[in-house]
Amino acid sequence: MTLLAPPLSATPAAISIAAAAVGVSKIYGRGDTAVHALDQIDASFEAGRFTAIMGPSGSGKSTLMHCLAGLDTVSRGSILVGDTDLSTLSERELTLLRRDRVGFVFQSFNLVPTLTAMENITLPMDLAGRTPDAEWVEQVIATVGLRDRTTHRPNELSGGQQQRVAVSRALASRPEIVFADEPTGNLDSTTGAEILDFMRRAVREMNQTIVMVTHDPVAASYSDRVVFLNDGKIVDEMFEPTPASILDTMKGLGN
Amino acid sequence: MWRLTLRNLAANKARFAMTTFAVVLGVGFVVASFVLSDGLRSTFGDLSEEITDGTDLVVRPVSDFGEPLPLDETLVVEVAAIDGVEAAAAFVEAPENSVQPIKSNGTTISTQGPPQLMFSWTEDDSLSSFTLVDGEIPDEPGEFTMDLDAAADHGFIVGDEYDLVTPGGVVENFALVGTTSFGADNATVGATLMHVSLDEAQTLFGTDGAVDLIPVQLTDGADAAAVTAEIKQLVDSSTTEVVDNATLTAEQAAEFDEGITIIGNVLLGFAIVSLFVSIFIIYNTFAIVLGQRVREIGLLRAIGANGTQIRRSIIAEAVIVGIVASVIGIAAGVGVAEGLTALFDTLGASLPDAPTIIAARTIVFALVLGIGVTVVSAVSPARTAASIPPIQAIRDGAEIGSEESQRRLVAGVLGLAAGIALGAFGLFVGVGSTLGTILVLGMGAVAIFLGMTLAAPAIAQPIIAVLGWPIARFMGKAGSLARENAGRNPRRTATTGAALMIGLSLVTAGLVVGESVKARLGDLIDSSVTADYVITEDNDSGLTPALADDLLATGEFEAVAGMRYDDILLAGEVREVTAMDVSVIDDLFEIDITSGTVPGPDAVHVILVHTDLATELGVGVGDEIPAEFVNGSATDLTVAAIYDDSTIFDDPIVPEQVFDNGGASELDEWVAAVLADDVTLADAAPTVAQLQALYPQVSIQTSTEFQQSFEDSVDSALVVVNALLALAIIIALIGIANTLALSVHERTRELGLLRAVGMTRRQTRRMVRWEAALVALFGAVLGVSVGVVFGWGVVEAMPSDGFGGSLAIPYMSIVRVVLIATAATLVAAWLPARRAGRLDVLEAISHG
Repeated sequence: MTLLAPPLSATPAAISIAAAAVGVSKIYGRGDTAVHALDQIDASFEAGRFTAIMGPSGSGKSTLMHCLAGLDTVSRGSILVGDTDLSTLSERELTLLRRDRVGFVFQSFNLVPTLTAMENITLPMDLAGRTPDAEWVEQVIATVGLRDRTTHRPNELSGGQQQRVAVSRALASRPEIVFADEPTGNLDSTTGAEILDFMRRAVREMNQTIVMVTHDPVAASYSDRVVFLNDGKIVDEMFEPTPASILDTMKGLGN
Repeated sequence: MWRLTLRNLAANKARFAMTTFAVVLGVGFVVASFVLSDGLRSTFGDLSEEITDGTDLVVRPVSDFGEPLPLDETLVVEVAAIDGVEAAAAFVEAPENSVQPIKSNGTTISTQGPPQLMFSWTEDDSLSSFTLVDGEIPDEPGEFTMDLDAAADHGFIVGDEYDLVTPGGVVENFALVGTTSFGADNATVGATLMHVSLDEAQTLFGTDGAVDLIPVQLTDGADAAAVTAEIKQLVDSSTTEVVDNATLTAEQAAEFDEGITIIGNVLLGFAIVSLFVSIFIIYNTFAIVLGQRVREIGLLRAIGANGTQIRRSIIAEAVIVGIVASVIGIAAGVGVAEGLTALFDTLGASLPDAPTIIAARTIVFALVLGIGVTVVSAVSPARTAASIPPIQAIRDGAEIGSEESQRRLVAGVLGLAAGIALGAFGLFVGVGSTLGTILVLGMGAVAIFLGMTLAAPAIAQPIIAVLGWPIARFMGKAGSLARENAGRNPRRTATTGAALMIGLSLVTAGLVVGESVKARLGDLIDSSVTADYVITEDNDSGLTPALADDLLATGEFEAVAGMRYDDILLAGEVREVTAMDVSVIDDLFEIDITSGTVPGPDAVHVILVHTDLATELGVGVGDEIPAEFVNGSATDLTVAAIYDDSTIFDDPIVPEQVFDNGGASELDEWVAAVLADDVTLADAAPTVAQLQALYPQVSIQTSTEFQQSFEDSVDSALVVVNALLALAIIIALIGIANTLALSVHERTRELGLLRAVGMTRRQTRRMVRWEAALVALFGAVLGVSVGVVFGWGVVEAMPSDGFGGSLAIPYMSIVRVVLIATAATLVAAWLPARRAGRLDVLEAISHG
């Protein structure tokens, strides 16, 4: 398969890999009723890139992301974040990895309702008992245009503003990699575009690594590279995508 | 709708299990108090009949006031001679615990348990409930018998000699000559029953030539009324009466019943407090569970269920929970009764063995209370649920709209005002009867608790913010999130905390009253007592005057005086009067004499009166007050002095001779002694120890020791009260755990998010536990505030010349109680915390 990432040993140090799946399978159930949510996946995600994972419902795209992010475990194979093999980590070490090295943006319910926008943004660092890099946080907040909203609570913010807070939280601790699960799924197209644009700028201007799961071709077109999944397998990939080219490929997947 | 009701209960089993448990504990406590008192009543009812068995009539002394004088023993012969009288006997008994046998190991039987009683042996079997089991009857001086169970339990062996503690000091070498049985199966309910011969009894108890009562048996077919009339002709009806067996049995039963009713009612009172606490927990459970079912209820409304159906379905849920809880509670009650018996045992006040009686009344009461409490708690949540509009079914994140908080606050303040008014009325005005006063105070307390609960949400947030500051500051992010969570739903926090408030306020009130009483006594001793020693009798059965003489005879003391109390008809009214050696009153006490002088040792017809009584009677120094005594004599007493300090005495004080002449009490209630100038406490210690050995039932204490032992007794009373209140607190803690569990369930997605962004399990658990601690602290702050006010009210209401009037707050004890409650909450929150920590992150995030 041409889509296979180069063997890890051959990866030059200069092109670092932020995360990788090596021979990953995820099987639910046993015997006849076994379902292969992920089937022998090999994929790597380069640092400083914005990668989209696409596929129809049930293709395994969310499962792959959850496994990459240390939220779920794999049945076979291994997941690498940087050069850490997640299968060797304990529950606590996984939690600390999520806290210190990974950022998250979810489709909805992204914020803790009792905390202000600013407190939500610094939450992972507060949990770690670390002092946030004030200058960096300031810059992130300025970039997403939340400067006058930092003391508001989530229920005082619009959906778009809430999602911008969520993205800021994911970036504020300068994680090695940010995972976004349908980040624009609950937003109207204008607001969604703002969020996606901001995520793309984070990659271009701040050299952030982002992996995003989406089923929206327009959203995926903001990325540098799209990986297509179907029935738990990687079936295609595309660089410098456009909405139209993505739509074509998706149609080819029978969706 | 019925099916839905059952399904909902099945779906929320775990949540309702905690609610059920709370009701079970409350109902169990109620049932236990009935089971215990019914059992005791049955035991003692049998006992009353046993005691009076075989006696047809009893002749006994009476008096209009004061302690009646014993009957002359010659009357026994006169009564026996009456036609129709088969037999009459002389009967003498010692005051409870005033005679105690000393075991071979030198110790006495504990006086905390059942009483130790000694009687004169009645030779005529038909007039006595006692029969000889083993050995001989005690017909010689220096012989005694004991009931067979007490002898076996305490290791007394027939044929051996023992020493006896008696009112006159230790008497050595009494031979145990036999064992007896009380009735057929010696149903003594644990008491130690002893006999000596009549002569020996009169010597030991100091009642030579007198008898306490005369049991009479009639010949078959004799007319009781005619015999009674004949006996009455022999005696003065103002000093002697004749009663029949039925009256006697009823009196005896009533006397036992009074004590049992008090125990039963006290337990019932605590049980009702526990049930009241459960109301808050049930209310909270229903409110939260319904809050989580808003969409479902909206859907039901949308597909055609009306509000009434919704309400009925929820009330039906409550009825089922109530029935289940009550039934389990009735079963648990029997266990709780055993537990309470064990508790009393550990606290040194053992209850006699009693049969387990579950009366129909108990079951009805338990069902009515259990179901009633549950349904009442569910009414308000049911009404709110019934008002959910169908549109809520399709709205995201739907919540029950809360009542206007302004209105709740107003209602709360009104409740508080009503409660304080009722409390003040009950404490300071009173309604005459004890029961009425307790009811008024109880209603006041309930109004205050409800008022606080309604008003509490308004103050919950600021108080939580302050209490939570150290937690948020020093416990990391988990701490500050805990503070946010505790403050985010003020009504829930308020209701949950209020449940704890109730128990803690009562504990605090008890501590405040106890401390105030202790402080007051300290003041009294400091300001009004100059005596170095205070001597008291452990069983309140009075001290022999010989003790005071013995003390003085040691030569270590400057002055010794024994205080006696009795009623005297003074200036036409029955008043309690103190008798003592008034000539030394200045050496022992500061009574602040405002006019006149202390009479010398030879003055007899004199009296010292308090300023208030002097004003009331309109007398001054040198005036005479007419006095009549229990033996019918009369004399005029000259006012020798008027005193102002009422802390030790507010009664009129007379010389001992006045009592002796008037036939009033011959025993000292307590004795005060002051050391001679050149004698120190250390010098006197050996002498005091010797005397103490002679009079084991007496406590010879320095005034410091006396104060200490008084404080100890206040403390042990508080221990009992707090042990009983512990159940109310435990129920409140269950409530906190339950609310937390429900909150954790409600916040599943939020917890998932926190876990996803890097909150560790330990942090998650800590967050939940600290939230619980904050809710508990909030409840504690309310409880302590209310409790201090309660305590202050009671202290103010107590007479200022008694133990009232000096409020003292035991800060350390209160802090300790609050810390214990908070620590217990941390333990109670262990389960919900663990659940929160174990949530599966992915499932939690996608949780509906």
